[in-house]
Amino acid sequence: MTVRDALAAYTSETRPEFERNLRAMMDRLFGGPKISEEQKKRVPPGQYVTQKWPVLHYGSVPGTNLATWNFRVWGEVENPFSFTWDEFRKMPRKKVHTDVHCVTRWSRLDMDWEGVPIQHILERAKLKPSAHYVLEHCEQGYTANLPLEVLDDDDVMLADVADGAPLTAEHGHPLRLLVPKRYFWKSAKWIRGLEFLPKDQLGFWERYGYNNNADPWKEERFSDD
Amino acid sequence: MARQGHAVDNGRDAVARLHAAFADGSLQRTPFLDQALRDLDVALEQDAGQKLGGKSAEASRFILRAIVRALDDA
Repeated sequence: MTVRDALAAYTSETRPEFERNLRAMMDRLFGGPKISEEQKKRVPPGQYVTQKWPVLHYGSVPGTNLATWNFRVWGEVENPFSFTWDEFRKMPRKKVHTDVHCVTRWSRLDMDWEGVPIQHILERAKLKPSAHYVLEHCEQGYTANLPLEVLDDDDVMLADVADGAPLTAEHGHPLRLLVPKRYFWKSAKWIRGLEFLPKDQLGFWERYGYNNNADPWKEERFSDD
Repeated sequence: MARQGHAVDNGRDAVARLHAAFADGSLQRTPFLDQALRDLDVALEQDAGQKLGGKSAEASRFILRAIVRALDDA
């Protein structure tokens, strides 16, 4: 697309696409962020690398009171439980160095994440054999869904720290799920619970046309992809 | 349902028209429509002093498209 084409297509309706095209053109013109050959191999098809961390969500940023915040685990589990923020901070922690890929085509490489490994949650919940899927429940009714085999991966965590600093409000403070092998909407911000299910149940974006599997390396962006 | 214009305004307009259609009996509630309306409400919810998130317009477009599809299929 040329600059002229992009401007001709610009309306408030097409603004997000216009901005993506503009960034891509700027990257082509000016080389974009300098990334190594090794890093280039880690960029899935159709993605561009950004050094900023774009903020994308619907609605308003929810306010959180850590004194009353809690997190619930329920569904197909032997031991449903919930925990407070203080209890979360006492759980075993790990660090993950990974890349994240947003369905809107930006990728951010070499991020450092800290939080509680999902395996700690799974072990404490004692999943029933009937648990095959999980629904992430977040503030404002947002949901996202995953198969259990995607959730139970060694780079998946409940993350409260990114690049050495606590998550900011717009990036999910106090907690977001981190699922690096899927497009980033599956790494739900402002998460408040995990519900384990025998059958798949579509989340918010999945209900309205986003791809249920969301593998960036297969470019599974929308349900008709 | 989806008119020319900004998706957020379209979404708010669609919510009002759907509620009006439920009220006058010209449209029956279904679990899908109720869910879509709840989702649309949340996507367009704007706290005082805050800007709507960048995905609100996209959510509105996607949900309106799904509602139109459901109405066409009814």
